[in-house]
Amino acid sequence: MTLQDLIATLSGYWASRGCLIHQPLDLEIGAGTMHPETFLRVLGPSPWRVAYVQPSRRPADGRFGENPNRLFKHHQFQVILKPAPDRSQQLYLESLEACGIDCGAHDVRFEEDNWESPTLGAWGIGWQVMLDGQEITQFTYFQQAGGQVLSPISTEITYGLERIAMLLQRVDNVFDLEWAPGVKYGAVRQQEEVEQSKYVFGQVDLAPIEFAKFHRDLFDRYHAFATMLLDSRLVLPALDYCLKCSHVFNVLDASSGVGVTERTAYILRVRQLAVAIARAYTGAAAEDVDE
Amino acid sequence: MSGELLIEIGCEEMPASWLPRLTRDLARQLQQRLTEGRVVASAPSACSTPRRLVVAVAGVAERQEALEELVTGPPVSAGYTPDGTPTKAAAGFARKHGVEVSALVEVDTPKGRYLAHQRHQAGLPTIEVLPAVLAATLRDLAFPKQMQWDAQLDDGKGELPFGRPIRWLVFLLDGQIVPFTIGRTSAAEGADVAVVEASNVTFGHRFLGSDPGEPVTVHSIADHRAALAERYVVLERDARLEQIRTALVALAEEHGGAVDLASPTLAALVEEVPDLVEYPMVVAGGFDEAFLELPGEVLATTMIHHQHFFPVAARQNGLAPTFLAVTNTAPENAERVSRNAERVLAARLRDARFFWEADRKVPLESRFERLATVLFHKRLGSYREKSDRMEELVGWIARDVLDRDDARADARSAARLAKADLATEMVGEFAELQGVMGGIYAREQQLPEPVWQAIYHHYLPVSPEPTAAPAKADLGAGAVTWAAVALADKLDTIVGLFRAGERPTGSRDPFGLRRQAHGVFKVLIDLPELTGLSSRPSLGALLSAADKPFKTEDPEKEIEVGAELLGFMLERLQYVLEQRGHDIRNVRAVVGAMGTNVIPLDALRKLEVLPEFTESAEFRQLAVAFKRVRNIARELPVEEFESAEATGGELGLSLQEPAEKELLKEIETRQPVFDAALATGKDFRRGFAEAAKFGPAVDRFFTDVFVMVDDPVVRTARLRLMKRLERVILQLGDISEIVADAEG
Repeated sequence: MTLQDLIATLSGYWASRGCLIHQPLDLEIGAGTMHPETFLRVLGPSPWRVAYVQPSRRPADGRFGENPNRLFKHHQFQVILKPAPDRSQQLYLESLEACGIDCGAHDVRFEEDNWESPTLGAWGIGWQVMLDGQEITQFTYFQQAGGQVLSPISTEITYGLERIAMLLQRVDNVFDLEWAPGVKYGAVRQQEEVEQSKYVFGQVDLAPIEFAKFHRDLFDRYHAFATMLLDSRLVLPALDYCLKCSHVFNVLDASSGVGVTERTAYILRVRQLAVAIARAYTGAAAEDVDE
Repeated sequence: MSGELLIEIGCEEMPASWLPRLTRDLARQLQQRLTEGRVVASAPSACSTPRRLVVAVAGVAERQEALEELVTGPPVSAGYTPDGTPTKAAAGFARKHGVEVSALVEVDTPKGRYLAHQRHQAGLPTIEVLPAVLAATLRDLAFPKQMQWDAQLDDGKGELPFGRPIRWLVFLLDGQIVPFTIGRTSAAEGADVAVVEASNVTFGHRFLGSDPGEPVTVHSIADHRAALAERYVVLERDARLEQIRTALVALAEEHGGAVDLASPTLAALVEEVPDLVEYPMVVAGGFDEAFLELPGEVLATTMIHHQHFFPVAARQNGLAPTFLAVTNTAPENAERVSRNAERVLAARLRDARFFWEADRKVPLESRFERLATVLFHKRLGSYREKSDRMEELVGWIARDVLDRDDARADARSAARLAKADLATEMVGEFAELQGVMGGIYAREQQLPEPVWQAIYHHYLPVSPEPTAAPAKADLGAGAVTWAAVALADKLDTIVGLFRAGERPTGSRDPFGLRRQAHGVFKVLIDLPELTGLSSRPSLGALLSAADKPFKTEDPEKEIEVGAELLGFMLERLQYVLEQRGHDIRNVRAVVGAMGTNVIPLDALRKLEVLPEFTESAEFRQLAVAFKRVRNIARELPVEEFESAEATGGELGLSLQEPAEKELLKEIETRQPVFDAALATGKDFRRGFAEAAKFGPAVDRFFTDVFVMVDDPVVRTARLRLMKRLERVILQLGDISEIVADAEG
């Protein structure tokens, strides 16, 4: 099964289970959770079911296209089921079967792994799903997002598409994956991995101090702009700019431009924005934001 | 006894580390709730797998016990008017209980004679009592982290958070379903979110068997067991553990190696794996021999911590290129599962090799500057600053405390580099290798053994037992430098965090300062065994040296922090000594009164001989008298005592009574013996024996002499005598503690 077949199969499967098939957020983000279709939709009482692919950028995981397992950017297939159905786990396992994984022929396990995103003020209870010792999915019952306690609870299923495709195709190097018949993952993405890694690790014609300064300035300007947008009651644009802050911070962090104390301060600034955005979205009464 | 009770809480995968405790709690809480519900029952027995918590009670009474209760009402005096007519109070009380006043009885209580009603309440059928018992039991279960899953009970307490969502519930009394419902909140309830009704239906293994996922009806405890056994669920943890152990040992042998399941590295893993599976099946796999060039610690950590795999020891030495994995699947899948597991492990090991090669390109020393960006604590700065403090402190410890000036340079190098591995790729990925990795890299760089060994082991010990790692043999040529660096690191952390206001409170100890303190005392009291050194450091000297960089100009703050810190450390020392099996009263005697002067090693040595004396009549007599000595001696403030000793002339000349002269003579003759015994720290037995001899003289003194006379000269002289005696005996400890109540 090619990578694109896998995406098509999962999309078809979840569409048939009542999910709206959405599209990726067109911004640089680190995980499908940050997409408003997850971050905002899990808030409040309204039921929602959605699935989408989200290209996810993790600057610190960039390896110049040389590591067979680590990528600056990987692809997640994200599913939100709200409220969390009683059959959440079965629905998930049936989706694996749909992709051609015979769970009865493998060692499939749900191992404790609680998910937490300090920048989003979000956490959940759940597992990493292991197939023969390989983590293929993060499965979470959301408990809190944007600092708000959730009711009802949502199920979040995050498939690691490259991992699952590697398993199905039995390849050991992500760049050897077949994306489409006859087209390798490397042919599609290797150059991007090389160049993006060089960028985030600061291998550019700019002194490190200038590189850091540029990103710090960007952060501050995005942050101020997000605050302004929020004051203008524009929740979705404010979230866009909040996520831009998060990404710029990740680049700074990867390029070693941030000390630990400062790191905590940056994360706190993004979280305070995320919490304010969530509050504006639900119209929740103002509460004190804890640090 | 009539029926049997079976409860199975079918849940989504509960975290493995919670199960042992949860299983015990389930049995205990059910028993308690049955008792409270007045249901006579035999002891519940519980077992669990990741997907079910099961508790069975072999014998449960058919009916709840009747309730016999005497309810008291108004006093008799207020119950009747003088002519014997019942008052409103008596009539009201009778009416409340639905009886005539004439049916009330009179009882005598400590407060007088009262009217009372003998209440009988017949027992309900047990099946009607059980729902409340289960509701309470579900609420009793405590989880390290609980979740909301849109569930609620109609017990008036609303939402029912739990460890993981409950998906089915078997609740059978003698084959009959006990009516019970876990409701769902209105926010969630709908087509896909339904209530959980108690039933007689369970489920087998998630994937194995002819019809996985199909419900199966059970009618009894035996039925339930049999049904699960047929459906690939080994319900008893011990049975799973035994299967796993047997298979691990056999497979390791088959692959030309061995697994030592009792070794510290594997013991925790072997206790974890039974709680990860319902049907244990062990598979073996291999990896490229080229990976064996990685340090064994890295290989083992990759396998154990990241994959829950068991490394296999080679016949000769080191590791074999083999691993064993405990899986939750059927034997026919072994081949496929093992091949996939090999690929996962190979990817992990390639990562590890990448780090290993990258890290060794840069000497440890050059990572030191990077530590400036790694925060230790927001008020205490970076690890770079911590390393600087440790380097200063360790030099002093090596030279002035351990009396090993020759080890000072190596100890300083080790302290300087101890935290450098926090800036390596390997520790970034495998945090549990901190220290160990630094030690290995230092060894690779050909740094002297005392340096790399000290770095390697400096996070140890992490617990106070005599057998806790490291053992002397592990330390090689690094025993002295290790002791110095381990002490410096831990003391700096404790003192620094107290200064930063992070003192542990109640169950909150986020920085693990208690554990750090236990480590300090373990090093100090096992110093001779671990290092061959004979130094006996005092706590106060160590604390004040570690505190030097943090001193402030604010005298009040200095006193406050000093007292808090000392109190904390003395409490931890007492804990460690008690853990070593010593009586708490004796521990208090040798630690409590010592304050900053306490020498932990001396305290241990005293405790080793003290029980020889505590039962002797002579010694106990002294212990009782010593309490009086201390109380009276308190009348003379230390400064006055010291000035009287300096300027008040020969004490003997101011004393008149024979009993007091005799006591002074006793002190003067015995004092040199004490001083000699105590100075070396080697002969506390002699010290206690000498002390015991004071008994008769002290008793006679108290019988014959009145201390607090009006004449100030005589009074001061007698108080001086008391104070001197106190000082002599306090060198051994506050022996009055040994006759204190155990609860003290």
